[in-house]
Amino acid sequence: MYPDRKTIRRRRAIFGALVATSLALLTVWFGEPAGGALHALQRGAQEVLSPIQTGASRALKPFRDAIAWTGDTLSAKGANDELRDEVGQLRQELAATQTARRDVEQLQGFVDIARDGSFPQGTRPVTARVIARSPTVWWSSVQINKGSGDGIEVDQPVITGDGLAGKVTTVTDGTATITLIADERSSVSAQVMPAGADGIVRPKVGNPDDLLLDFVEKGSRIRTGQTVVTSGFRSSRGLESLFPRGVPVGRVKKIDRSELDIYQTVHIEPFAELKRMDFVQVLTAAQPGARAEVPSQ
Amino acid sequence: MTLSRSAAVRVGLIVFVAVLVQVSVVSQIPLFGGRANLIPVAVAALALLGGSLTGAAAGFTAGLMLDLAMGMSLGGSSLVFTFVGYLIGRFAELRDVSHGLLPIAVVAAGTLGYDVAYGAITFMLDIEATVSVLVLRDMLVGLLLNSLLALPLFALVRRIVRPFVAAGRFEARRRGRPRETGPIGLRGLGLGGR
Repeated sequence: MYPDRKTIRRRRAIFGALVATSLALLTVWFGEPAGGALHALQRGAQEVLSPIQTGASRALKPFRDAIAWTGDTLSAKGANDELRDEVGQLRQELAATQTARRDVEQLQGFVDIARDGSFPQGTRPVTARVIARSPTVWWSSVQINKGSGDGIEVDQPVITGDGLAGKVTTVTDGTATITLIADERSSVSAQVMPAGADGIVRPKVGNPDDLLLDFVEKGSRIRTGQTVVTSGFRSSRGLESLFPRGVPVGRVKKIDRSELDIYQTVHIEPFAELKRMDFVQVLTAAQPGARAEVPSQ
Repeated sequence: MTLSRSAAVRVGLIVFVAVLVQVSVVSQIPLFGGRANLIPVAVAALALLGGSLTGAAAGFTAGLMLDLAMGMSLGGSSLVFTFVGYLIGRFAELRDVSHGLLPIAVVAAGTLGYDVAYGAITFMLDIEATVSVLVLRDMLVGLLLNSLLALPLFALVRRIVRPFVAAGRFEARRRGRPRETGPIGLRGLGLGGR
């Protein structure tokens, strides 16, 4: 039995309509400002989906922990031999213990970084759990379980216990989306310490373990192993960086110096484990409108 | 094939659950340095069982939900998944897809197609980026994990949508005799049980 023309036309029309709708959405989404209708629709959808996502994330946490534990165990050489004979109950307990320990380590990092003298003052850090991740391979965004109800606003900086992670890009009442520093849209003004050489940290998209510090003057003396922190610039015209001064970003691991280029490019290994973070802290304003400051030494 | 209302509800439910479980759970479980992605598997299963229209509609819905839930460029994922679903559905309509191992090949192709096409769209819309070895490794690991998930998830989806999937369902949309498909989707190999 062969299809009639009507069936073929109908099939093509529906497919064409779906493709055209996608293209139209893409065009309008990129063309409109952040407060536009589609962006508002996206925020609304996140608002609706966030309780479901949070519920699913919590309900399936034991399952997730068990699988994560399995993955960690498989990738750890030698660990398999010791654990092979353990019964299922012990494995569950071990999974729970390891997960708790990892959580504690990450949360301890927040305490340590808060005690550091360079930690930006004037902020009220809000600790949040990562509840969803973008499934693409570009490590661009994650979603957390705190939102505007906790004082989180768009453009606020986000850190892990190790260093800078990204900034808030969308907020609903109970969740927020974090655009990571490995996202192609990210750029952060930063300085290499102690040399004080300025540059802009940009991602090497597709490789979250390698950030690039661009526009560093050739004369600046930079060595591998030196620390890169946010510079938190403030211009006389009132322009200022979203990120407060002094937040650790990463460590210099390689320097590209070309005879032809005006600037040198510095490769940085970020302190934050962007691929494996479970907790983050959003540096919210202590008082409405206040900005983070580094204490004077 | 026009889906009945109850069939459409089942398809929608499968898509909704796949996206929700993907972003809330599966994306947070690193395995061998990569992550599985249930969405291409679900879209491929629905397209293979329901045909091109079901595949395109399921792909569009899944992509739209993903873009909305994760704050990604609206329309990007839906565009790619619409094509993935439609092409797999057409493949099912034009070929004999009865072989038991075919889902593995179809899921691998669908996952690779999504990763490459979404990457291409990202490059075109946004950025100057380099495709690092890490990205390629993650794609490969994700593809292998999805291939491992293909058979159980296909069985699950088939069980859910069985009421509207009947034998000979694609006859009306074939222009000629279906061509034979080998065990890994290669015509004429003729290996394995049939």
